[in-house]
Order: sequence, then C-alpha cells, then structure tokens
Amino acid sequence: MDQLPVEISQRIRHEARVAGLREARAPSIEMVERRRMQLWFLTVVIVIVLGLATLVASWSAGTVLVTGEPWILRAAVAALGLGFCVYAVEKEIHLHRLSRLLVDERILNSAMAHRLQMNAALFNAGKALNSVLDLDDVLDAILANALDLLGGATGSVMLVEDEESLRVVAVRGSRLARDAKVKLGESIAGRVAKSREPLLISGVVAPTDYPGYEDREHTTASAMCVPLVNRGQLLGVLNISAYSERDFDEHDLQVLSLFAEPVAAAIAKAGLYEAERAHVAQLLDSDRMKTQFVASVSHELRTPITSIRGAVSASRRQITPEQRVELLEVIERQSLRLQSMVEEIFTAAKMEEDGNRPLLRRIDLAALVRLAALDSQVAGRPVEVEAPTTCEVRADPEAVRRIVGNLIENGHKYGDAPVRITVQPTEGQVVLSVVDHGAGVPAEVREKIFERFYRMDPNGTKPGMGLGLAIVRGLVESCGGSVWVEDAPGGGAAFRVALRTGAIEESSREVAHVG
Amino acid sequence: MSGKPRVLIVDDEPDVLLTLRMILEAEGFDPALAADGETALRRIDDESPDLVVLDIMMPVLDGWFVLAELAGRSHRPGVVVCSAKSSDTDRNRAMELSADEYVTKPFEPDHLVSVIRAVLSRRSGAARV
Repeated sequence: MDQLPVEISQRIRHEARVAGLREARAPSIEMVERRRMQLWFLTVVIVIVLGLATLVASWSAGTVLVTGEPWILRAAVAALGLGFCVYAVEKEIHLHRLSRLLVDERILNSAMAHRLQMNAALFNAGKALNSVLDLDDVLDAILANALDLLGGATGSVMLVEDEESLRVVAVRGSRLARDAKVKLGESIAGRVAKSREPLLISGVVAPTDYPGYEDREHTTASAMCVPLVNRGQLLGVLNISAYSERDFDEHDLQVLSLFAEPVAAAIAKAGLYEAERAHVAQLLDSDRMKTQFVASVSHELRTPITSIRGAVSASRRQITPEQRVELLEVIERQSLRLQSMVEEIFTAAKMEEDGNRPLLRRIDLAALVRLAALDSQVAGRPVEVEAPTTCEVRADPEAVRRIVGNLIENGHKYGDAPVRITVQPTEGQVVLSVVDHGAGVPAEVREKIFERFYRMDPNGTKPGMGLGLAIVRGLVESCGGSVWVEDAPGGGAAFRVALRTGAIEESSREVAHVG
Repeated sequence: MSGKPRVLIVDDEPDVLLTLRMILEAEGFDPALAADGETALRRIDDESPDLVVLDIMMPVLDGWFVLAELAGRSHRPGVVVCSAKSSDTDRNRAMELSADEYVTKPFEPDHLVSVIRAVLSRRSGAARV
C-alpha cells in the first residue's frame, strides 16, 4: 500500500465542504471539533435569542410595540428556530462523518508509515545481503535493522552447529557470549529450532531461557524467536528481546518472521560462498604445488642425467680401465636412481586409484626395520635401531619396506646422522618411530607435509619431489594404520607410524590368497 | 698462465664430481673438488684456482653465497655456474653476481669444456691488456 485510498480523500473533501470547512485544504480532527463547538454554540445562542424574542413578543402583545396577531409572530420565531436546528443537525451529521473519516485517515497513515519503515528495513537487510559477502557483516546489518524496526533492545542469530546444538554467531545489544552453545530442545532458541515454529513471549523472561547471559543489567520483558529455514533446511534461529518499555505482539512476530527470510538466505549464500572460496583456495594450492612438483621433478631428473652423460662422455676419452669401471658404476647408480624416481611417481599416482588394496599379512616389523637400517648403513647413511627381537604387525611387507625407507631418507635429508628408529609394541598396535636430528616440523605444517607435492624446502636446496611423505601416509593408511609427526624429545622431528597387531580380516585374507 | 689451468669443481653430487674430474683431466686441466660452498671458499683461498665450476643448490653454504662472496673480491677466479635451476631469474641473478657463464644441467660435457676454455681465454686476454 503506497498511497491512501483516493476514495477516502474525496469523501473527506466532500464532507469538509458540506460541513462548512471548504477553506481548509487539509481538515484535521481538531478543526472539526472546533467547528462543531462553534455550530452548537451558535445553535444554543440562536435558540435562546429566539426564545427570548418569543417571550418578549407574548408579554408585549397588544401594546404599541407589536400590532396584529401575536401567534403569527410566535410561529415565525419558532419556525426560524426549528429551521436553524435542522441546519445544525445536518451539519453535525457531516461533521461526525468527517471526524470518523479523519480518524480512519490517521490510522491508515500510521499503518502506511509503519509498512514503509518495515519495507525500508527489509530493503536495507536485502541490500546488506547483496553488498556484503562476509556472513558476520550480513547478520550484523540484518540484526541492526530488525532491532531498529521492532524497537528491540537485544538480538542474536544462532546457527545449527550439529545435530544437537546451536551456536551463537551474531549478537547485538547484549553481552550474550558469541560462540555460546544451546542444546536443541532446551531454552527458547532450542525449542524453536526443534519445533520450527515462531515463538512469542510476553512478560518477564526467566534468565535460564537465555544461556550465555551473564550478569544482565536489564530485565527482559518480551522476547521473540523465529526459525531460519532455507529450502526446507533448518539453519538456525533469530532472537529479539525487549526491556520493560516494550511488549511484542503477534504482529511484531510476523514482522520478525519476514526478517528470517533474508537472514536464512544470507546464511545459505554465505555458506555457498565460503565453500566456493575454500574450493578455489584448494585448487590454487593444488595448482601451485603441482607447478612446484613439475619444477622438482625436472630438477631431480636433471642431476642423474648430468652424471650419466658425463660418464658416457668421459668413457670416450683416454682413461684407465679402472676409471672405465668406475664410470660404468656411475651409469648404473644413476640409472637406478632414475628408476626409483619413476617408481615413486608411479606409486603416488597408483595410490589415487580406487581398489588398490595392499596384501595384508602378519609380518615381523622388527626384522624389516633392521633390514632397512642395514640397507641405509650400506648406502652411507647411519641408522640406530632399538626394537624387540620380533614384533608382529598386520601389514603389507612391501609397503612397510617403502614406509621405513622413505622415513629414513627423509630423516637424513632434513637432519644430521644418525637417524634413530624405535619399535614399541603397545595395546593392540605397534608404534614405529623415526627420529631425526634436524630442525623439526613447525606445528602449522604437520598435516601439510603429508600432502602430495608439498615441500618444506620450496627453494629446492634439498633434493626431492614432495612425494616421499605422501607415499608414506598413503601406504600406512592402506595398511589400516596412522602416521603423524611431533617434536622429538631433545629436538628434531619424530615421525610415528602406528600399525595394528590384530587378526587379519577375512577380506584381506582372501586377497592375500588370491595374490 | 703456466702449466695446466686449475679448475675447482663444486657440486654436492659425487658422481658429477667424479665424471667432471675425469673429463677435465683428460682435456688437460688440473681439477680439484669441493662438495659444498664452505669447502669451495676454503680451497679458493688456499689454492687460487683459475676457474670454478659452481653448482647452486648445495648443503652448508650454497652457490649463491659463494658467488656473492667472490663478487666482492678484486682478484677472483672465473666462475661458470653449472646448475639444474633453469629459470631466467636464476640465470640473471648469477650474471648480476659476476658469474662469467651459466650452463644448465644436464649439459653436453664437450660444451662445458669449450665454455671453460672460452672463459679462461677471455680472462687471460683481459689480464694481458
């Protein structure tokens, strides 16, 4: 409703004209009352004057003053008085109509102003929703508009945290703790979230209904809470409460329900935006790591090729037979290195495939670790081992060999020799620890280092392609175990691998038989 | 320049050191080896080689440090940077740090030998002038 009905305006003008207020362009109730007072005052005066005139006429009948028949005079005066009374009553009827029309007009004006105010508040809420993508800002703007329009003192938005609770994400006008949690079904918000029905509370509200409140300065007199639903999904609730000077009614609840719509839309939109942003960030991160991977692989391939080409070139020159043997060894060593790199890339790619299940069987982890340590010692990379004589785990021996090998290599790459390995059986599992003497792994990258292509040394002063630890995690998880890194006592990094000792599951056993 | 030109090969990869040493020896140079930047600087101070074949990515002190250190000296050996880093940024950085040539791994050994000869000849020519 943007305009007053034309019909009322026309009738007001008509009645004003008929009631003798034609000079007033916008008659008011006060003017009507004044006019009515004037009319009745005039009527009374005229009646009195005419009455007195009749009396005087009767008293002086037959005197020199009045000649002829006195009843004619009396009848004339009475007719005059009656005529004026009819006139006054007719005016009074119009003034009464005008007065009622003006009251209607005032009510309509007030309703229209309220509606305009509400539309403006909703428009602002919508504007906030469209102009700000940050959810906190959107919710704050919408809360501010709702409080302003409804005359509320405090407001909050709570979102569904999980299947059992709501979390406060926006607060205005109170010290209600942000991030405070409310259980579904409990308190006002929890009850509304569960029933999905708006709730209006009039009268003093019990403090226990507002969890998170601390030493409130005012007494809440009235409160409203509406559910936030988007496409049939409950997202949270919107709360508004007022102090003693304000008492909400059903109409206010309806208005608040109108606000719930943009709030729910904002939350849904912000959720989508956040998910999209996280996805883009993930893609960019992945893209960056892949670029780094290509650089690392290219660099890693260049080094053995340089040695092989150098050896071939040197062998064509005048060299001793001993030198020739040495060069052949260089070629063999470096081609093996290339082969192992290709295998590493292949293993990392294979781990992406579904259904790539290792052959789980009972193996002696202690024996495998000693063997890996020996291989490392032979290659000039010392390893200290502390393990029981035998220690059975349920794993794929080839996977464990690679896990231990990669962790030893990693330890030597990032720390001084020797690398220390311990094998500790505990309840239902065995923990293998590979401890180096390096600078350790900062807490913020302890998860990242297990991602493919991630390198702690992006400038590439250390050799590697960023696949070693990703392969470790993939293989450990394929054996049903877990791997993590922590600070080693006394400095350095301690990579821990937990492998299970339990019985082999039927499915794994079958795979093993087939294999 | 009298006798064989002395060339210090600096690389953390043992097989690169081994093959380059054989090639340079066969080509009439007097090669010496260093597997990190610190050893390289020490051998440069002690033995004053005519030329250094310098890798960039090395432990202890990397090739950038060695280059920067040599760039500040008035009498310094010729430097041929020999690295797997192939970007223009790395090449420009090395040239700004007064490297004489930049060869990217993997390289043709004969090409490296000719680059080494060219740098030595350029430097001896400049010294005579």
